[in-house]
Amino acid sequence: MKTNYLFSIIMLFLLLGCNTKNTQQNSDNDTLNLIKDTVHTNRVKKIFYNVPSPIEMSTVIQRSGAVFRNDILCPYKNVEKYTSLSKQAIMLGVYGANLSYVRLFEQIQLAINYLSSIKKLCDAIDIPQEQGSLAIQRMEKNIENKDSLLQIISETYAATDSYLKDNGRGNTATLVILGGWIESLFIATQIADYNNPSNKEIIDRIGEQKFSLNNMIELIKAYPDDKELQLYLPSLLDLKKLYEEVNIEYIKGEVKTDANKKLTTIYSVAKVEIKKETFEKIKTLAKQIRTNIIKY
Amino acid sequence: MKTNILILLWLFVSFNAYNQCKGFTKKECVPQIKPFTYNGQLNMAVLNPGDVAELIVTFYKGQDYRLFVCAQENLGKIEFKLLDSERNTIFYNKEHDMVNYWDFHSNATQQLIVQVRVPPLEEEVAVAPSGCVSILVGFKE
Repeated sequence: MKTNYLFSIIMLFLLLGCNTKNTQQNSDNDTLNLIKDTVHTNRVKKIFYNVPSPIEMSTVIQRSGAVFRNDILCPYKNVEKYTSLSKQAIMLGVYGANLSYVRLFEQIQLAINYLSSIKKLCDAIDIPQEQGSLAIQRMEKNIENKDSLLQIISETYAATDSYLKDNGRGNTATLVILGGWIESLFIATQIADYNNPSNKEIIDRIGEQKFSLNNMIELIKAYPDDKELQLYLPSLLDLKKLYEEVNIEYIKGEVKTDANKKLTTIYSVAKVEIKKETFEKIKTLAKQIRTNIIKY
Repeated sequence: MKTNILILLWLFVSFNAYNQCKGFTKKECVPQIKPFTYNGQLNMAVLNPGDVAELIVTFYKGQDYRLFVCAQENLGKIEFKLLDSERNTIFYNKEHDMVNYWDFHSNATQQLIVQVRVPPLEEEVAVAPSGCVSILVGFKE
């Protein structure tokens, strides 16, 4: 009888846990948008949020004609100074963003150095050889091939995310994503010259982070008990307030689908308006958050 | 007692399904995103017939993307849609032989919703099948 009672209590907790999550997800869904599609939205069981990887963010830097700046990078030599698991995870994201940046400028020696720091962090976080370090060994062999480098950065990033989520460490995976996203925003804001017309695309990309910031916040909110993640939430919410000053006017365009190519092109236009004052405020706050993140 | 055994069985089946899901996604799904570069974020869930999952994702201006929906065969053909932020349908695979991947090019950076649905069962069964569904995003530089 006593065993049954205990069993029932455990089951109640398990079921309540599951229900809480589903309620949250349904509520998120309700706030998403107006529900037009009743067939698909009848039973939303799970909502995922993705944040663009540092590789995606860095492509715009390449097109802007920006020159390489070593001074904005987070020193790879500091890797040993990060001893807590949460700092190591967030720095894995930071160094990943630095690696994506140095790759663009074909800074081979720097790429090797960042690679070495990433390898140390992977080991410290217990990402097994076949998941992380093995990919890094491959990277050392292919370091001079920019495309292979891209593939290997992506694979390492994916293997880390997958390994951590597989092992019930989604919070640690979120720290990696946060580190990568903030460092990418920091690099972009440091490189961009608001008054230089050729930097318009980077400025726009910084403004467009309004979307990614919302996704980042939702990812963090999924782990309300993770003290480290929650520590960064207030400053991200401050950043969100600043981003409210960024206006993105979206003009819906034609959608064309080429069935033979299995390709759909969306001919919409988005006009990003970001005032210099807002840009400077975002730049300052991104730097503050990043300084806090890389602090050991 | 019988109820307890059933609940334990249900828990075992759920955990087993999740473990299978992990292996399935890595082995069967991730390699298929090539030649696009996988964005590295694993979006997978164990779903039942009739369940819907959504992925909120940002497409950057001028970049090419591949959406790949990967599911275990026992779930049947998975429907997937790409919706804009006002939930207007941009793409629906039901109009394209229930294809499991499609490529996209957006002329503007925008927040989009990928919606997947496991087909509901046509008739009542004692134990509804559950299986792994993954939504993967790839991009090209």
